[in-house]
Amino acid sequence: MRELNVEALARVEGDGGITVTLDGKKVKSVTLDVHEGPRLIEQLVRGMTPADDLNVIPRICAICTLSHRYSAIRGLEKALGIKPPEKAQLTRELMMLGENVESNSLHTFLLALPDFLGYPSAIAMLNDYGDDVKRALRLKKFGNHVMAVTSGRIVHGENPILGGFGKYPGRKALEEVKLKSHELVPDAVRDVELFASLDYPTYPEAEMLFMSVDAPKKQFGFAGESIIISNGKQADVEDYKKLTNERIVSHSFAKRSLYQDKPYTVGANARLINMGKRLDGQAADMFKEHYNDRWLKNPLMNNLAQAIEMLWSLEHIPDTVDKIMSLEDPPIEKPTRENGSGTGAVEAPRGTLYHHYDIKNGLIDTADIITPTAQNLDDIERHMKLTAERMLADDKKDEEVRLGLEMVARAYDPCISCATHLVTLKRI
Amino acid sequence: MTRQSPKVGVYGFTGCAGDQLMILNCEDQLVDLFGATEIRSFVMAKSDNHEGELDVAFIEGSISTEEQLKRLKEIRERSKVMIAIGTCACHGGPQAMKLGEGKWEEMYKKVYGNAKITVSKAFEAQPIDAFVKVDMYIPGCPIDKTEFLGAVSKLVAGRHPYLLKAPVCLECRWKENPCMLYAGRFCAGPLTKSGCGAVCPTHNLPCVGCWGPTDDLNVSSEYQLLKEKGYDPDEIIKKIKKFGGARVAQLVKDLENKKEAKT
Repeated sequence: MRELNVEALARVEGDGGITVTLDGKKVKSVTLDVHEGPRLIEQLVRGMTPADDLNVIPRICAICTLSHRYSAIRGLEKALGIKPPEKAQLTRELMMLGENVESNSLHTFLLALPDFLGYPSAIAMLNDYGDDVKRALRLKKFGNHVMAVTSGRIVHGENPILGGFGKYPGRKALEEVKLKSHELVPDAVRDVELFASLDYPTYPEAEMLFMSVDAPKKQFGFAGESIIISNGKQADVEDYKKLTNERIVSHSFAKRSLYQDKPYTVGANARLINMGKRLDGQAADMFKEHYNDRWLKNPLMNNLAQAIEMLWSLEHIPDTVDKIMSLEDPPIEKPTRENGSGTGAVEAPRGTLYHHYDIKNGLIDTADIITPTAQNLDDIERHMKLTAERMLADDKKDEEVRLGLEMVARAYDPCISCATHLVTLKRI
Repeated sequence: MTRQSPKVGVYGFTGCAGDQLMILNCEDQLVDLFGATEIRSFVMAKSDNHEGELDVAFIEGSISTEEQLKRLKEIRERSKVMIAIGTCACHGGPQAMKLGEGKWEEMYKKVYGNAKITVSKAFEAQPIDAFVKVDMYIPGCPIDKTEFLGAVSKLVAGRHPYLLKAPVCLECRWKENPCMLYAGRFCAGPLTKSGCGAVCPTHNLPCVGCWGPTDDLNVSSEYQLLKEKGYDPDEIIKKIKKFGGARVAQLVKDLENKKEAKT
């Protein structure tokens, strides 16, 4: 019996590792280990006002800070009977487009791409792929800029609040955003071409199940009130517990999710598989050109899915900005009740994120947060195990197996801080 | 003679990784930053990491497991200078907001019930200086790019960095924002360290205190000002403990004691 370890899984958000337990050539187990410490955020926000809760919960994760804030806002507004004004909804859509560009460019280029091209980091790629890295940094910077314009700051902006925004972005800032998004579309197209040209190993392939939020009006988007499951079923977000079935496993602190006893995947690939036909513009053309059956079984295709989605987000910014600019700044909508419950669901760049709240006498009674990475953990491990088995059967060296496993884990764009917003997990 | 680039390590513990992300968010300076320093270890950004002697270790996050504690001490031993980056490393962060109230065990049990879990021991999160000597603090939730890059430039030049010490109110004046307190809205600005550019008041929102307590010498009168405005001291503490944790509670307690000693 021996172990094959990746002690510190680099280029992911948070502190994790991979452990493979081997018996000869037989793979006994593959685990994604998370060394993050516990934070107990859901417990800490109990008794807080909803406004105070909104200050704290985005701190679960820096990369998807606005997804956390938006999901919480949706859950809390439902619970408190707040109907957000149209301008607030559109500005929230814009901030999600910005976060999508920022996070997808960060993940595809700085975190995932070096594996495919054989480098330890994007910085190390500068000599050989300088233009590509600089293009990615331009996109990332722009995504950050949109987040700052809408939320007030590039990370943990406090501007989006219940019932609206502290201050709506000004016309000049919005016009700049619109102009810049036009300029960057060719960059995003080049990114899709680059990710479409990569060689995606077949080792992790297996039948998969995908879930994503159903954007309203049969459009593509990042928030909604129901969930699409790739088996053709549909569910209301208020029934999120039946979809995610969080459980504690005895050998780790990680809460895990299974749907009908099966692992499932959330993320950009899930969104494009479930809603790809709703894409428009060049993103639709690129999707039609590059989508194939492999997407349904190979998690590595998430990298290409993120690149296509980033293009869609960029292409949608000008229209969203125009709609925002056509509206006057509305007053902040106030709560209409002090007791109630509500579930918010949004598509964080790495997948569906649920925030459920019960409010009693104006204060948080319970908070339940289910993150995309926690939902993906079982499927990450399933695909890593298949990869290890198949690579070892092909007589691959340990070093190659390690890289193969890291690529699978990284493809899910795991956010380990998110997954352990309340838990720590260590596999032995 | 060329100065040798300082050997730097960037490490993350319990938190949101936002301060490490802010380093990666320095898109325009990232290439220069990796050029001017020798980044030996930065697990979030690269996979060729070498652990050895360091000139500067940047630490993000609070400490909440035995394993993290061991690792923090080990990094301290091989680092000439240790800099805490972000509110979690400096003050404990949101996960330390109830530090010292003795409620952690109970909350922990509520999350895990009686499930038997065989993992390394976890404890209530604490700032890194609860365990090791810290040479410099760059707070923020997250840290500010300009402040961080300014500090790094000084360090590369062999100089001591300078950070703003004043409360958020100073930056609020610079921005000519109307005062939240005059509008009757509770604002943590007077007790919170500046450096963010008074971003919340600039968006017509009260400061939430996310940079932790100011070490400005005027803090005593700032606190009195809030009390004179009619704010309940318990409410003040509750609000700003969200980020300043036990450190804020201690600060306020000291102020109350000082006042009692005077009267």
